[in-house]
Amino acid sequence: MSRVEEFGSSELSLREKLIHLNWEMVAMITLIAGIGFAMLFSAANGDMSPWASRQMVRFGIGVVLMLVIAVIDIRFWLKVSYALYGISLILLATVEVMGSVGMGAQRWLDLTVIQLQPSETMKIALVIALARYFHGLEADDAGRARYLIVPLILITAPMALVLRQPDLGTAGVLGLIGITMLWLAGARVWQFMLVGGAAIAAVPIGWQFLHGYQKQRLLTFLNPENDPLGAGYHIMQSKIALGSGGMFGKGFLSGTQSHLNFLPEKQTDFIFTMLAEEFGLIGGTGLVALYALLIGYCIYIAFRCRSQFARLLAMGLVANFFLYVFINIAMVMGLVPVVGVPLPLISHGGTAMLTVLIGFGLVMSCWLHRDIYINRRGAA
Amino acid sequence: MTERISFESAQKKALDTARTRLLVGGALMAAAFLVIGVRLVDVTLFGESGPSRLTSARNIAVETQMDRADIVDRNGVLLATSLTTASLYGNPRKIFDPQAAARALVSVLPELSEAEVAGQLSSDREFVWLSRNLTPRQHYEVNRLGIPGFDFRHEQRRVYPLGRLTAHIVGFSSIDNDGLAGIEKSFDAALSERRKPVMLSIDVRVQQILRRELAAQIEKFRAIGGSGIVLDVRTGEIVSLVSLPDFDPNEVGNVPDEARFNRSTLGTYELGSVFKIFNHAIALETGAANLASRYDARKPIRVARFRITDFHPENRWLTVPEIFTYSSNIGSAKIALDIGSAAQRKFLSDLGLLRRSSVELPERARPIYPATWREINTMTIAYGHGIAVSPLHAATAVAAVVNGGILYPATLIRRSEVPADGKRVISAQTSENMRKLLRMAVENGTGRNANAPGYLVGGKTGTAEKQVDGRYKRNALISSFIGVFPMNAPRYVVMVHLDEPKGIKESYGYATAGWTAAPVVGRVISLIAPLFGIAPVDESAAEIRRALTVNVTAPRARGRGIATN
Repeated sequence: MSRVEEFGSSELSLREKLIHLNWEMVAMITLIAGIGFAMLFSAANGDMSPWASRQMVRFGIGVVLMLVIAVIDIRFWLKVSYALYGISLILLATVEVMGSVGMGAQRWLDLTVIQLQPSETMKIALVIALARYFHGLEADDAGRARYLIVPLILITAPMALVLRQPDLGTAGVLGLIGITMLWLAGARVWQFMLVGGAAIAAVPIGWQFLHGYQKQRLLTFLNPENDPLGAGYHIMQSKIALGSGGMFGKGFLSGTQSHLNFLPEKQTDFIFTMLAEEFGLIGGTGLVALYALLIGYCIYIAFRCRSQFARLLAMGLVANFFLYVFINIAMVMGLVPVVGVPLPLISHGGTAMLTVLIGFGLVMSCWLHRDIYINRRGAA
Repeated sequence: MTERISFESAQKKALDTARTRLLVGGALMAAAFLVIGVRLVDVTLFGESGPSRLTSARNIAVETQMDRADIVDRNGVLLATSLTTASLYGNPRKIFDPQAAARALVSVLPELSEAEVAGQLSSDREFVWLSRNLTPRQHYEVNRLGIPGFDFRHEQRRVYPLGRLTAHIVGFSSIDNDGLAGIEKSFDAALSERRKPVMLSIDVRVQQILRRELAAQIEKFRAIGGSGIVLDVRTGEIVSLVSLPDFDPNEVGNVPDEARFNRSTLGTYELGSVFKIFNHAIALETGAANLASRYDARKPIRVARFRITDFHPENRWLTVPEIFTYSSNIGSAKIALDIGSAAQRKFLSDLGLLRRSSVELPERARPIYPATWREINTMTIAYGHGIAVSPLHAATAVAAVVNGGILYPATLIRRSEVPADGKRVISAQTSENMRKLLRMAVENGTGRNANAPGYLVGGKTGTAEKQVDGRYKRNALISSFIGVFPMNAPRYVVMVHLDEPKGIKESYGYATAGWTAAPVVGRVISLIAPLFGIAPVDESAAEIRRALTVNVTAPRARGRGIATN
């Protein structure tokens, strides 16, 4: 890369791109996914089916997709950013009309080949669109209130659709992603305080619109012992399982809480609990450290990007990934309410795996094109 | 130029801001990871390991719930016990699809109604009983459905392993284990508080024999019901108590009232000539007559609108033993006149025939007798009309007449020794004479069909017309027989009564006690005597004949002692 800087050229051939690709990042992702395969193998009581084998296939497809996305010129992504956002929004709206109902909530769009969860792709599309918007602003404009109207619309439109599904967790994540983007783009602190104040004021009103089970979840979060056999069951069992792991865990395939089915959803949202039960505090902190390393690496990439678009894109995607990890782990430990957020790269599930890998592909693309100057309309 | 510079400086400033904010964002994420790490240490190392306080609370609840005590017979055979079963309940708030859940449940519990279950599951409550006391297989099948919102509560189910056999004694209890009838009701508090079984005086072997023989006779004579009692004359213990028809206490849901009715203790009947036992005993005890006394039985007695006749009139003077053996109503009425109303009433009261029985059952009858005891009443009561008692009343009183003269309250609870609560009602001498008369009635009189060779059976028949709507019905009889054995040293009273037996060819159309009730007593005695270790004796042995023969000028039986009344 010193060569690139030396010659002042930022254009790389495909071969050079492949050489300069963040292979160490690919290695970290693969390592985390590998832990996921092992946990899914354990969740099925030592069987590749039904979860581990399918997850491996998805990961293989996802990695190829990630690498393809990484080598595509970042200016292409800038050009198609609003289109991607539009498509995602339409898909999200389509779910409202014809989505199939999975697990009680309408979140899945059956595309016959793959069941797509548009709310997941929406997260990436929102990051791209916001990055594109702020990239197009004058340096100072991001701090001016009237330039915040469009991004607020970009953020709230998908949030409203997701809330109608209803999926409180995803709507919250979209909101957090949006806030992160506004922060990074340079919105003023007082503007955040204003929005924050409005949000707090909206809580009592929003409460009225919640489904019964959502209210239940929030109340249960505040006091899980209230209803230990009902809504608090997940969290109680999860905490018991975590506690039974101790320092070194019970050993691979030996977690009693998980294998005796006390732990619900152990192959999806509660897979971290199972890991902590079988590998203890050491295993749990090990995985958290791996995630932290990966996220730190991505922040470094964002820091190194010259263009506002690449920087915002990389950081937004990292924020998205971070939110997955944080919310999931905090949830199983009872720090935040139970929302249906998977543990990225590990939980069984197709959409989450693909969107996370697509996100990393885009981050890698930012890295490969970090020194390219892009004008406000997207040309080099 | 300045514009260019300011633009570049602005751009530089923006880049600085962007990078600062990026670092702040990264720092926030790092802080979040730190929180996760601390929390992870907290829950893994200091978290809630082991069973939660909830599971332990549940265990305590299960342990403190005490089983209802067992009921056993005198030999320890189980008559009633409690089994732990699983009862299914639903939590409608946890059930997503009441229709589907109801359909699935009815597929394994077909006795439930799908619509009803769906209705229950659609309610807004958190607890609805769906089916109580499932069998282990049903429990397994429901679990296999794996429907959240269905759960089980462990309950005690009362089980009566012998079913109908002791239904009228043991009774039954509700699904919530409250005693509703029989011993289950009268000992309700004791059964729910203690763990030791309640031991009854009943012997199920005797019970089985008596029930079988009685049921066969009821069927043979097309009676509508009947009762049987075996009573230990030395303790008052009821060894067997049968009332037919009966019911299965394990399924009391749709038992008709008729089957629930305990004829042996709750039914009151005019028992007819059986009462001559008491009449003769009172006469001998008060000295109103002795065994040599004679009475004119040539003509029916007319009192007001009543006419007292004999069933098979001898039309001559009869001795006291003859009056008993031939069951003469005329003779008995005349003896009663000599006894007098006051003495009759006092002795009947002493024999426990004018008050509720002391037996430990909620189903106990109060005898029916005239409020004002006129002369005509005294005369009819002498031969068992105008007074209605339960069969258990009669059996208990007869036990006192034959056991040496001491009345022991009838009990269903096993006694370990001869009770101290006995009360002398007649003298030993009168009792001995009565034993002889009772033996004669079986040897030569109306009760010959009750004889069980070798067991020295004594006894008395009684056939009474049933009163229906205040009028006697000629073809609706209460045919009863009270037997005692062995007569030289009485051990047990065996009483049987049949309700409305119909005459058959074999009995020459008779439905009287000598043809219907007496044979049951004879058969039962020959079957149960070996169970009690009572050996048959040579009935013609000299010392036995001496002991059981009336030692006044023995009235030679004339003609054949046809089953008169």
